[in-house]
Amino acid sequence: MTLRGLGKDYGDRVAVKSLDLDVVRGEILGLLGPNGAGKTTTISMACGVVTPTRGTVTIDGHDVARDPNAAKSKLGLVPQELALYDDLSAMQNLRYFGALYRVRDPARIAWALDVVGLADRAQEPVKKFSGGMKRRLNIAAGLVHQPELLVLDEPTVGVDPQSRNHIFETVRSLKARGMTIVYTSHYMEEVEELCDRVAIMDHGVLIALGTLGELVAKHAGKGVTLELAGDVEAAARAAAAHATVTREGAMVRIEPRDGLAPVIAAIEGAGARIMRIESREANLETAFLALTGRALRDVAA
Amino acid sequence: MIGATIKKDVWLLLRDRGRLASLFVLPVVFIVVFGSMFKFGPDRGTPRPIAIWHAPGDARGEAIAHALAETPGFAARPLASPDDVRRAVAADDVGAGLIVGDGPVELVIDLAAPVQVRGPLQGALTGVVMRALAPIKLPPLVEAKSPPGLAKPLDNITGFQVTVPGNAVLFGFFIALTLAMSFASERHTGTWRRLLAAPVPRWKLLFGKLVPYFLIGLFQLAVLFGLGVAVFGMQIAGSVVALIVLTIALVACSMSFGLLVASFGGTEKQIGSIVPIVLLVMGLLGGCMFPRLIMPPVMQKIGLVVPHSWALDGYYTVLVRSGTTVADIAAPVVALCAFAAGFALLGLLRFRFER
Repeated sequence: MTLRGLGKDYGDRVAVKSLDLDVVRGEILGLLGPNGAGKTTTISMACGVVTPTRGTVTIDGHDVARDPNAAKSKLGLVPQELALYDDLSAMQNLRYFGALYRVRDPARIAWALDVVGLADRAQEPVKKFSGGMKRRLNIAAGLVHQPELLVLDEPTVGVDPQSRNHIFETVRSLKARGMTIVYTSHYMEEVEELCDRVAIMDHGVLIALGTLGELVAKHAGKGVTLELAGDVEAAARAAAAHATVTREGAMVRIEPRDGLAPVIAAIEGAGARIMRIESREANLETAFLALTGRALRDVAA
Repeated sequence: MIGATIKKDVWLLLRDRGRLASLFVLPVVFIVVFGSMFKFGPDRGTPRPIAIWHAPGDARGEAIAHALAETPGFAARPLASPDDVRRAVAADDVGAGLIVGDGPVELVIDLAAPVQVRGPLQGALTGVVMRALAPIKLPPLVEAKSPPGLAKPLDNITGFQVTVPGNAVLFGFFIALTLAMSFASERHTGTWRRLLAAPVPRWKLLFGKLVPYFLIGLFQLAVLFGLGVAVFGMQIAGSVVALIVLTIALVACSMSFGLLVASFGGTEKQIGSIVPIVLLVMGLLGGCMFPRLIMPPVMQKIGLVVPHSWALDGYYTVLVRSGTTVADIAAPVVALCAFAAGFALLGLLRFRFER
């Protein structure tokens, strides 16, 4: 899937500015970002659900705008919502969604149910399913036509750990079958665990793209986090003369340019006290913090 | 894809007891209640009792009682005293009373009754008295005849002849509510996003959503008219083809109205709280609950702004007038088609696939 100059405006509000992104065949690409970053809008445009204001989307060479049916037949969308008919059985749901793709072979439906571990619950109405089972069926409904590209939009929201693990296993097994997957999430650890590459979005812009190692190496830095008391704002300003500083309340993340000593001196000189020093291993979370100035959990909540 | 959508939506409807009740059970309840309340047509069923008192052996009184007994639609009920007559009228045991004393004949009637009810009764009883007291035996002075071009109505018209189509039209429009709710539900649950992501042209998605409700609407009206004939003794005086054509036009109109409602994009809660009220008001104006014939002329004219009144005019003609053909109901059918086209056009202009 190739996105070129893709953007969406809602009136005066720019939801996605101008996005260039290539999803490589066979990879799992994680799309990470806080609420309102533009992830779902990007996915919706990529799947032909929302018409872009600008730019193009091509899937396996088919332009979504000009040749929508050919492009859409290559992809399966698993929306963030539980997009199922509660009063129908799992089997009836998959039969209907399969019919939209001209899939009528019962073996395909049985396969999709088997992949998500619901083969023995096929005849039960969805309203009797647990939240985790519904999430899994939601994935099966996007899989029933065996797409080449599967787009999973926050597939683990509100599920128990057991179902979450099952979903992870499903995603891994699909990748092993050669399926290309775009996986959006609020959960950093999910993206770290599953994805080959990660795209980070904020305020409608793609701010970083690369493998986990590349992102951490390039953006995570080697800083420490200080918990301050006293005039934290003045201390952060003073520290900025010697380091890159990002602040969340009393927590100030410091990436010193010339050692930690001048930074500590500047903070104490500004009348603040250091209550705690925390040094964390560089990971995707620290990279995200460095890129956006915010912790993902805080902004996603 | 359309076949699968029909199957899916019919299945969902069958699982939804509330919607089934509003489409099939409520109309039957309304038909029974209203059908038992109203009587129409030349044969009004049980003759209306009219109390009468006159002094024993009084020639005038006996002549009036005799004339009253001979008048179709009235049953003379002789009482023992003038006060008994007045009490019977006050207690609503009889429609009116006649007291034949020495002076002018006293017509006892509740003057607070609506003029539409009191006027015909007062006029008819005055005629009975005048005929009885005429010095010579008068030949019939007035003979009622339908004008040329209007087919003769059926004899023995019951209330169901009017209340079955009235409630069929009223609740036939509830398919608009069901359709709009279905769109709102698809958007709310996210299945609409899934449908938009499928390799199906958008016009086909929309068409696929409308067709099942069109078929459900036809089935609903077939059930209601079928019950009308089989259970309530409703007669179809005109052509069945005309009835079918009118019904198709009505369902198309109702479905287009549903599309228009859906195009506003409200939530299920908003649609469920506002649209039934709108539909009931439309039905009321259109004469679904109280026939427009008994409404004041201004209200009869206002009623023409809703499709219900046109549909009911058509149904009344088909069900009551013998020999009615499709040509005889051309005006209601064209009006319903025009409403359907207008609603559909507005709905399509307003409808947003992406919200």
